[in-house]
Amino acid sequence: MRHVVRHLSAALLAGVSLAALAQAAAAQQRFECPRRGGDLIFALEARIATLDQHVNPASSRNVTMNIFETLVTRDENMNPLLDLAESVTPSADNAVYTFRIREGVTFHNGKALTSADVLASFQRYQRVGFDRSILEPVTRMEAPDARTFVITLREPRPTFLEAISSFTVPIVIIPAENADAPAQQLPIVGTGPFQFVDRVADTQIRIRRYDGYRPDTRHQQMLGFAGYRQACVDTVTFRMMPEAGARTAALEVGEVHGVEDLPTVAQRRLAGNPNIRISRLDHYALVVGYPNLSQAPTDNVLVRQAMQAALNMEEIMEAATDGAFRLNPSFQFPGQAYYTDAGGNLYNQRNQARARELLARSGYRGERVVLLTNREYSYMYNAALVMSEQLKAVGINAELLVLDWPAALQLSTTNAGWNFFYTGWTSVFAQGGAQSLRNLANPANVHRPPNNQSDDVFMAAFNDITRGATLDERRAAFARAQARAFDQVMAVPFGVMPKAQAVRANVEGFRPYYATRMSNVWIRN
Amino acid sequence: MGRYATKRLLQAIPILALVSLISFGIMKLVPGDPATVMAGPGANPADVENLRRTLGLDKPFLSQLVIFYVNLVQGDLGRSLMLGTPVTDAVIERTPATLAIAAYAMGLTVFFGLLAGVVAALRQNTWVDQIVSSIALIGVSLPNFWLGLVMIVLFSVQLGWLPTGGYVEFRTDPVGWLRTATMPALSLALLQIGLLARITRSTMLEVLRQDYIRTARAKGISEFRVIMRHAMANVMIPVVTVIGIILSVLISGSVVVETIFAIPGIGSLLGNAILRRDYPLIQGGLLFVATSLMVLNILIDLLYAYFDPRVRIDGSA
Repeated sequence: MRHVVRHLSAALLAGVSLAALAQAAAAQQRFECPRRGGDLIFALEARIATLDQHVNPASSRNVTMNIFETLVTRDENMNPLLDLAESVTPSADNAVYTFRIREGVTFHNGKALTSADVLASFQRYQRVGFDRSILEPVTRMEAPDARTFVITLREPRPTFLEAISSFTVPIVIIPAENADAPAQQLPIVGTGPFQFVDRVADTQIRIRRYDGYRPDTRHQQMLGFAGYRQACVDTVTFRMMPEAGARTAALEVGEVHGVEDLPTVAQRRLAGNPNIRISRLDHYALVVGYPNLSQAPTDNVLVRQAMQAALNMEEIMEAATDGAFRLNPSFQFPGQAYYTDAGGNLYNQRNQARARELLARSGYRGERVVLLTNREYSYMYNAALVMSEQLKAVGINAELLVLDWPAALQLSTTNAGWNFFYTGWTSVFAQGGAQSLRNLANPANVHRPPNNQSDDVFMAAFNDITRGATLDERRAAFARAQARAFDQVMAVPFGVMPKAQAVRANVEGFRPYYATRMSNVWIRN
Repeated sequence: MGRYATKRLLQAIPILALVSLISFGIMKLVPGDPATVMAGPGANPADVENLRRTLGLDKPFLSQLVIFYVNLVQGDLGRSLMLGTPVTDAVIERTPATLAIAAYAMGLTVFFGLLAGVVAALRQNTWVDQIVSSIALIGVSLPNFWLGLVMIVLFSVQLGWLPTGGYVEFRTDPVGWLRTATMPALSLALLQIGLLARITRSTMLEVLRQDYIRTARAKGISEFRVIMRHAMANVMIPVVTVIGIILSVLISGSVVVETIFAIPGIGSLLGNAILRRDYPLIQGGLLFVATSLMVLNILIDLLYAYFDPRVRIDGSA
């Protein structure tokens, strides 16, 4: 009982998915595969280079999150959710977190999961993990017995569960004997419903049902990357098909059962096809831009505010997404724990008169405003193109600088040579409220403030998000930080892009998510 | 001939060393490093730095260069940053697909290109010549990414004859290979067919005006024999050179065609490596391509001597 109480307490503190838990409890029926068997072929956009999920921030999640599991993950609305952890007990000051490991879980090699594996996984992540800074406050990790894992922090950190539940680059649990593997060379052995079979370079990756999988019976349905999951199909073949036209054609002729990232144009064409079912994750990526606060004239807040006032987000998002978008005056998505529209009055102003007035007050004398973009991601290029015309319309000397993505990204990490950079936030939201704004906080500061010191008012609010004892306190702090970011134009959210996926009509149970989920999906006869 | 081939191979070594140095230097000078790309926008600078250290990119330029050459002379091209596998393995793994598609495309190019060029020359200024020349012009003008997509719509979606993409190895399933390789090979070949047809036509027209052809005809030799024995032997001299260039284009792989048809080849590998600034893979891939082109050039020179006995491969006339 104490565990339950502490668990709920932790849930309240960290925003753990009470709603999801309640929903699961209320569900009348546990999911059972209506039909088992078959090879489900799914076409991916990216050529997945490696499956070492401790190191890769990108598309490998589409495959690996069906193979690996984590202690804590996220539910459908990005709230933390226990996965391999049966419970978590934070100390009264939120400086020590004690995890109880679920019983009966085995790895794909047959070995039982113990806390020693969890400890070894976290230690490898500390050594080679991509997002290892989330473990920076950790002073000690220990496994006092086979089912207990204890993390001690340098200071109280109520948002610690948010941080380690991020699936941006998740701390997946691997067998201790694999923990010495160098980066990118991890043997692919996890505890998930599917196990790795083989891969053909740049062509396909196959996974198959793991018969020893023990579903999480605390839930009735799949939630995010966890919950009650079952592998209904025998095997899944992920085919790598980078070209959208070829991928769509493969779906149309039935060569594949499903595809990710269906272009908007193809969605319209396939909408009437009875053999194809299109599903859409409405809030997938936030198209966003950053000004450079160290480069004139965007070092002048009035110039930045003038730019912000001039923008028409409908026009920008229309061009960026072929019309598939939602306006969003926030750095979070609606429905998420930290969502707020604070400062949203400065979003999508479409006010050219105000822009000209601010420009006049700023002392702007026609200096070049370099919009740094790339062509690899067409939505970024199109957003930049439309924005440049909107800025020119109010008298700003906007100029596009188009480089390839690596070069543009590299240049954006310097203080000179650009004024505005375009990107997209996807898994950023998996990092939690504080984490999603950390790009604008010390020491990340993508907006390049002078001396790499972000705005004081913003930083005060940001620190309150990290340290706030209750979710309400942290929400309020997030609203203050977001309002300040809008006011100082530290970043500009343009709008939200959906993610469209499609499956053949005989594929059931497929639900889009931030990465492809193959659990609880079956093929009808 | 053996001495000549050996001499050419030895000459290739310093050139390859230079190629590797240039590829190493250029990639270091181009902005954008693998750690930044892997980390993505908004990454914590400390994380990027950690990643750079993990990938061994924190060492000075000269140290990296020395390590690269020390490993190279031991046959070790390093480890790909994005794949986590040895570069040699990555290149070898993808070579068969590129070579097989290139060979298929080359076969199509030589057969249709030569045939169209010869027919157009023999029927100069007739409707046959007009049609062949027009098709050749279209072939040269069409971008292969557009052609590839149109072929997918036609042959896969509309007719259902061929798969939309993917690759099956010849040794595992020859029919499957033919089905998966045909559209990529055609996409690659069409431009080259047009090019070869135009060169063959103009060369053939020039040869047909030569005195020895007139003499051969005056001696009463059949037209077929005149063309095949006397004209073609001389047409092949410049054509072989062009074929060598075409083959090198095909072997170096087509990023676009391999991407459209999801072919696991060298072209798409190098394209990805460049976009991710995977230095070891770029260097290894470029060395592979450069080596292939060197060997190819030597073979072309030997073929050249075969078709033109006046050419002495030891350099004397």
